[in-house]
Amino acid sequence: MIGAWILRLSAACVAAMLADGAALAATQGSLGSSSTGSIAIGASVPNRVQISGLTDVSFANHDPATPALDAQDLCVWSNTATRGYNVTATGSGSGNAFTLASGAQTVPYSVEWAGSSGQSSGTGLTSGSALTGLTSSATNATCSTGPGSTASLIVKIATPDLQSMQAATNYTGTLTLLVAPE
Amino acid sequence: MAAPDYCAAARASRTGRRSARRRAWPAGLVAAAALALLSVAAPAAAASNKVRITQLSDVAFGTIANLGQDAVQSQSLCLYSDSATNGYHVTASGTGPGGAFELSSGAGVLAYEVQWSSSAAQSSGVQLWPNVPLSGQVSAATQQTCNNGPASSASLILILRAAALSGATAGSYNGTLTLLVGPE
Repeated sequence: MIGAWILRLSAACVAAMLADGAALAATQGSLGSSSTGSIAIGASVPNRVQISGLTDVSFANHDPATPALDAQDLCVWSNTATRGYNVTATGSGSGNAFTLASGAQTVPYSVEWAGSSGQSSGTGLTSGSALTGLTSSATNATCSTGPGSTASLIVKIATPDLQSMQAATNYTGTLTLLVAPE
Repeated sequence: MAAPDYCAAARASRTGRRSARRRAWPAGLVAAAALALLSVAAPAAAASNKVRITQLSDVAFGTIANLGQDAVQSQSLCLYSDSATNGYHVTASGTGPGGAFELSSGAGVLAYEVQWSSSAAQSSGVQLWPNVPLSGQVSAATQQTCNNGPASSASLILILRAAALSGATAGSYNGTLTLLVGPE
């Protein structure tokens, strides 16, 4: 009974060691005309994502008769087995709303996301809600090799909202994007 | 009546012949034979230089938090050579194809770099390539397991480069590195 318990414990320890990236004991060489030793090597790479290639958006002197649209390509990298990720956007308005402000005046904008680059439309994002099921084609954390970009971020201001804005006034805000591995 | 001991007779006959042959070897011939044996033994002594590698430890990088930075693990070990110059060469091979220095996690692969220094407590050294001997190394060890004299005489350095780490799929990677040393 005790022997069986020890055996189970040993097997459990070995399994834990291997999972932790450690391994079985190194072997030492003996004295001779040649000598051979070996070591086991273990490493664990955790799930990681990275977003990069973001640029500021500016709608300067935009004609309020036509919708404002800015689409930019960026790099999202994920190292999971599926290269999957999700993205959550938050604005700088009240309750993290997607709004720009000029003093007390605010104007809403919309945010869309596409899981490939070169897109001018995508899936609409809701502030604070993750858009899941996305996949990255990036092979490098900053897309310095492989695809130069892997996703599209689209920011829009609709014509009614543009027409509600006061002329010659700067409206500013910040959009924050949080990506997580899947 | 007892049976004759034919075996005893045969044994006596063989013993007699061997004694006769021993007696037939002149002293000079025996000395010449001894000299010949010595001359054959001399090269064997030269070829009997010995080496030993000990104090090797497994390497566990653990969970690598920052994939944008090289991960380095170095260890001091004992390399002993009893050749006239205390020289040796070292050859490393991994468990990747053709002895490549690669860790694996299922189908995933994580390459690593191996460096060697012929002095202890080093964090960098000369890069090793799979199955290619690094020659011209000299050991300071005075005892085969470094039990006295220097406690260690060489350094083994393993490096996971940031480029390899950021290109690897998440998971637990394992592999084995084998080191073969020979005297010089």
